[in-house]
Amino acid sequence: MGAKKMFLVDDDEIFRTAAEVLITSEGVASEVVQLENGLVAYEAFEALENNPEELPALMFLDINMPIMNGWELLEELKNGPKAIRDKVQIHILTSSIDPNDLNLSKMYDFIDGYITKPLTIADLEKVKKGLP
Amino acid sequence: MNVKPTHFALLDSPLPIVVLDKDLQLLSASKVAAPFFEQPKDFQYAHLNEIFGKACKGFAVAAKQSSSHIETLPIISKNGKQRWIRTSMLPTTGEAETFHVYFDDVTEGKIQFELAMQAKKIAKIGSWKVDLLKNTVTWSAITKEIHEVPEDFVPNLEQGINFYKKGEHRDKIIEVVSECMEKGKAYDVELVIVTAKGNEKWVRAIGEAEISNGKTIGFQGVFQDIDDIKRERLRNQVMDDRMRVAVESANIGIWDWDIVKDELIWDKNMFALFGIGQEEFDGAYDAWESAVHPEDKERAAYEVGLALEGKKDFDTEFRITKGDRSNAHIQGRAQVFRDEQGRPLRMVGINADITKIKRKDERLRKLLELTEKQNKKLLNFAHIVSHNLRSNSSNISMLSGMLLSEAAKGRTDEFMGMIQKSSEKLEETLNQLNEIIKIQATSKSDLTQIRVRPVLDDVCESINAIIKASKAKISVQIKEDLKVWGIKPYLASIFLNLLTNSIKYRNPDKGLNIKIKAKVLENQTILSFNDNGLGIDLKRHGKNLFGMYKTFHAHKDAKGIGLFISKNQMEAMNGKIEVASQVSKGSSFYLYFKH
Repeated sequence: MGAKKMFLVDDDEIFRTAAEVLITSEGVASEVVQLENGLVAYEAFEALENNPEELPALMFLDINMPIMNGWELLEELKNGPKAIRDKVQIHILTSSIDPNDLNLSKMYDFIDGYITKPLTIADLEKVKKGLP
Repeated sequence: MNVKPTHFALLDSPLPIVVLDKDLQLLSASKVAAPFFEQPKDFQYAHLNEIFGKACKGFAVAAKQSSSHIETLPIISKNGKQRWIRTSMLPTTGEAETFHVYFDDVTEGKIQFELAMQAKKIAKIGSWKVDLLKNTVTWSAITKEIHEVPEDFVPNLEQGINFYKKGEHRDKIIEVVSECMEKGKAYDVELVIVTAKGNEKWVRAIGEAEISNGKTIGFQGVFQDIDDIKRERLRNQVMDDRMRVAVESANIGIWDWDIVKDELIWDKNMFALFGIGQEEFDGAYDAWESAVHPEDKERAAYEVGLALEGKKDFDTEFRITKGDRSNAHIQGRAQVFRDEQGRPLRMVGINADITKIKRKDERLRKLLELTEKQNKKLLNFAHIVSHNLRSNSSNISMLSGMLLSEAAKGRTDEFMGMIQKSSEKLEETLNQLNEIIKIQATSKSDLTQIRVRPVLDDVCESINAIIKASKAKISVQIKEDLKVWGIKPYLASIFLNLLTNSIKYRNPDKGLNIKIKAKVLENQTILSFNDNGLGIDLKRHGKNLFGMYKTFHAHKDAKGIGLFISKNQMEAMNGKIEVASQVSKGSSFYLYFKH
């Protein structure tokens, strides 16, 4: 079963548009919330602080973004409400092929996956299987 | 006895004297002569041979020729001991056919001589004698030992010569022996012999002629085994030679400081090392003082002190200015010599010119720095490839895949448009990369003196429209004729980037002021661009500020390439760019140009 709602955090508008089409057509999530950087995503989480039932089941998070990048958001979530880490499955979704980024992602035990762009149907099927 | 009056006085003398005829028959004798030979006072000898109990051949020959002869002969005294009598025979003055003979007891001297000979034995000194009349050669036991011949070996002159090593050694002995024979010239030479057993050894041969009546009748001398000494000496000489060659070729100078007398001595290499003439200074210390770099002088002197106190070995480096005003790096090492109480007496040291090594070190260090810089640039490149190239190419790949798989059904035009946009961005990224590579290929020789004002004015003119739109006030405090070393298009590109950044990131709540100033220092010129805009959180972004594709403002035009390119351009012009900024107060960018 797909997720009811997911966050798609990426600064690249073209990618967000195309990814949303792919995600919905594959039935990974019914509602895709597009967020253009880490800070916007952080504010979205902040807004849901008192409604944990409204938290998305899934988040795709880019790393290289202006204002607040993926790592900075992860640091905030690490120290933020436990509900987010428990309820939201977080997948890094990046164009970076730098092994340092992959290693860095292993520092966060609440991360569920690491996907390298381009995003494929096979990636999405795998993510879907992992959903509750 | 037929005593002639002329002999009378002599015969009265208290010395043992006899008068002989040419057949060595005694004509008369002094009163003390008989007692000298332990005979009763009135005893009379008839013949010289009678005195010594044997034929005195040497005297017989000399008498026949009316010449003099001196020989030391043994007699056995009554108590059985041997006495040595030096017997000197001289033709009687003015009277032919008669000879005076003086006797002298030299036993004591002879004993000492024997003892000396024994001592010589220990010192491996042998003796030899050549009798040219009898044509015999006599070698002492030691001489035979040195030649490694049996004790009963009987040499002759030719054999003796042939023991010398063929070539220079034999030639030399023949030369000196010939001279000795012909001219009576004594010799003292050090040569190599080849012993009977075939061993080569160094010997010292000393010889002197035995002359009778102006004619060489033989010669004698000593023969010493100096093989060990000579070889040691030769080894030392080789070592000395090697040391000298090493010292000279390695640019090493040696100094020697007599601490007690406070005298410093330099060898000639030291003066060569310092490039100064020995005569130019009162002493070596003055020369040293004049040459050592002022910053190193005190430290070097302090280190000498530590060495004297025995706290630290003297091993240091210092800079000098040589006589021709060129600079050199010197390494100095020294050792302190002390008396029994440990007081320093003398300090001996070496100075080596290590300038070349130092320069090599310096080059290596620079190379390392350059490599590090290039590594950083490569990391930046990895970042571009990873982010900007890949994000665009992966978009194209994903979009086209979706078009083919009908996931984009009904939205084909929209997807085609996105592919178009992604490929445009890809091209832009490639162009920027190209730009960066071009900057990095810039050579220092491309730099020229550029007047700053016209370049700045042109840039302002080109963006006149946006300056007006933003209502920015730009004040320029740069002299009309200020010049910097640079490349004109780079300078224009940097000015444009800084100005547009200030306008782009201006504070919407207040009017934008941009101040551009110049500061000319001794070896560099600094241009500053100051604004009162949004500012940058340097704590957070400082390390990334000049990195590629780093943006710090949520601005739609933020591309994160401008400052990276500006930084590369400044570096290509042998300069650098720095920033000072405070959030919501403004930013200042400083451009450093080397003179």
